[in-house]
Amino acid sequence: MVLSLHLIALALYGVATALALAPFLGVGAPARVAMLAASAAGAALHVVGVSQLSVVGLAPSLSLLALCLILLQLASEAVLRASAVALFTAPLAAGLVGLALLLGLAPGAEVASGRGAWLLLHVALSFFGVAFLALAFIAAALYLLQFRQLKTKHFGQMFQHFPPLERLDRLNQFALVVGFPTLTLGVLLAIGYAVRFAGAVQVDKAQIVWGMFTWVVLGWAVWVRVVRHWTGRRAAFASIAGFAAVLLVYVALKLAAPGAERFL
Amino acid sequence: MSASESVSITVLGVNHVTAPLEVRERFWLPGHEVPAALQRVLAAGAQGGVVLSTCNRTEFYLADRGNGAPAAVWALLTERLGDGRAAADFGYVRRDRDAVRHLYRVSAGLDSMILGESQIQGQVKEAWELSRPHAGPVLHRLFQSALAVGSRVRTETGVGMGNASAPSAAVAIAGKIFGDLAGREALILGAGDMAELAAACLVSEGVRVSLVANRTYERARAIAEQLGAGSRALTLDEAWEHFSGVDIVICSTAAPHAIVTWQRVANALAARRRRPLCILDLAVPRDVEPAVGQLENVFLYDIDDLQAVAAAAAAQRRSEIPHAEHIVDQEVEEFWTWYGGLAVVPVLRDFRRRLEAVRAAELERALKHLPDLTPAEREQVEHLSEALLNKFLHQPTVALKAAAQDGRGYALLDALRRLFGLETPRE
Repeated sequence: MVLSLHLIALALYGVATALALAPFLGVGAPARVAMLAASAAGAALHVVGVSQLSVVGLAPSLSLLALCLILLQLASEAVLRASAVALFTAPLAAGLVGLALLLGLAPGAEVASGRGAWLLLHVALSFFGVAFLALAFIAAALYLLQFRQLKTKHFGQMFQHFPPLERLDRLNQFALVVGFPTLTLGVLLAIGYAVRFAGAVQVDKAQIVWGMFTWVVLGWAVWVRVVRHWTGRRAAFASIAGFAAVLLVYVALKLAAPGAERFL
Repeated sequence: MSASESVSITVLGVNHVTAPLEVRERFWLPGHEVPAALQRVLAAGAQGGVVLSTCNRTEFYLADRGNGAPAAVWALLTERLGDGRAAADFGYVRRDRDAVRHLYRVSAGLDSMILGESQIQGQVKEAWELSRPHAGPVLHRLFQSALAVGSRVRTETGVGMGNASAPSAAVAIAGKIFGDLAGREALILGAGDMAELAAACLVSEGVRVSLVANRTYERARAIAEQLGAGSRALTLDEAWEHFSGVDIVICSTAAPHAIVTWQRVANALAARRRRPLCILDLAVPRDVEPAVGQLENVFLYDIDDLQAVAAAAAAQRRSEIPHAEHIVDQEVEEFWTWYGGLAVVPVLRDFRRRLEAVRAAELERALKHLPDLTPAEREQVEHLSEALLNKFLHQPTVALKAAAQDGRGYALLDALRRLFGLETPRE
């Protein structure tokens, strides 16, 4: 059941990817509702699939991250009509679900209720935090591409189908400002969980150092946005730097300590 | 529907292809003058009329019997011209199926100066509503179907896609920078026609054109008044300090050299806190130094850029014409089937009634000479006469209905009327 639901969600995310790419492949713009429907149907099945998983381990984590991305894509589309976000989120979600399936997904064991709620909150906040930062990165990338189209006076498919600059700037700011504290809270809950249920925090020095580095870079990106009132291109570059830090540090730590039994 | 008996549909008028602006503007009929104009045409014999008057066309759609109504329209338009020239020299006449096709093409934007523009559909609707008391059943149906055809063409084809005029391209570009344009502020430098058009497009999107600067203050004030409340006039010298506050600047002065320099804009940017500034330079020669476009967060477009956007959209629209024309053809056929049937039914009814009367009279006379017939035999004779009548009527009925649907029915109907003396034929 879990596998079937994930496979169907994967197929629907694939359809959403194809629909998002259609205007750039010369096929013509599909109806907005078709792309929304494919993503929403995939997300609905994906929610059911994820609800049957234990949230411990790399494969379920990737699946959950993919779901968070699609949910944020749908929210961006509904609130800001930023349908071009799907250009990134749909293939990314499809890739993450595909990778999760390759790593192996199976229904998980029940976790004790008190610990379960704590763990669930930590996982949900952490992945939504990462997904928000990914959304900020996507909005920043779209901003820079649209900015370039406007400056160089290229009025092609990107110009036509990408959202306006100001809308992308707002999306970037919102995702960054929400994503950073959400992720921070998720990490703090992880520390609290470790202290309360395992007696101590068991992380190595590299994780602490690189984790702090990431937090500082992200904090700087938020600070320049909120306190220094950076907007536009500079703010987009700051967001990209913040998400790049998250991504690079994760990959580096994963390479240093490989294994599919843990997300980090 | 007796009103449709022998009534043909005619359109007479002028448009942007047949008449220059100075003629079209004299023919333009404001809404309050339409009822009087229609009453005059109806008094000349038309069964119904609708007037469509926009900046690009003035057209009278008539349901008429081929009498004096068209002449009355030309007389009315010639009076408006008022300089001894004949209005008919600038105009065109389309009848029946061609008139229906013409209105459908107009409603779909296929006959517009800017191919596929959507404003015309609203104007067709407005014209119909304004003329409704004088339209009559045939034109009522025609205009309803024309609005449906316009919607269908725009939905099923790409003929209305993109921004096919320079002013609408300007709005599209500004929209890609600012998103929602409502509440944005614009400054106009100069008073060119294109700038006024672009400003009107921006105002329709909710932009507040709050400042109009021109070398002559009076002209600036005239434009500001035309643009509505909230707009105010400035001299050119006063305009520079406002660069830091507005979102969009439209330049259209007649200056022989660039007046918006890199230095002026760079000075204004410091106070803008990196807010984007969109400058639309519509002047030839250009009002803005090209280097201004290299400033961070300044988006500079000249008339060539806007025309490139418009041309790309127009080319895309042109490729959709065959599909749009195909839809128009289909819809003309559908209307004509309805309309043809409408015209044939009363004539066939009269025809049958006339022959039935002849049959009844001849039967009665014949039976007087055959007093020995039994009731069954009389019934047989009566049945024979009815069968013969039906056989004789079958082929003409089928042929008339088919001819009416092909658009050739009116000549046959007239012939039928003449041959059997059904009523006074059309002139």
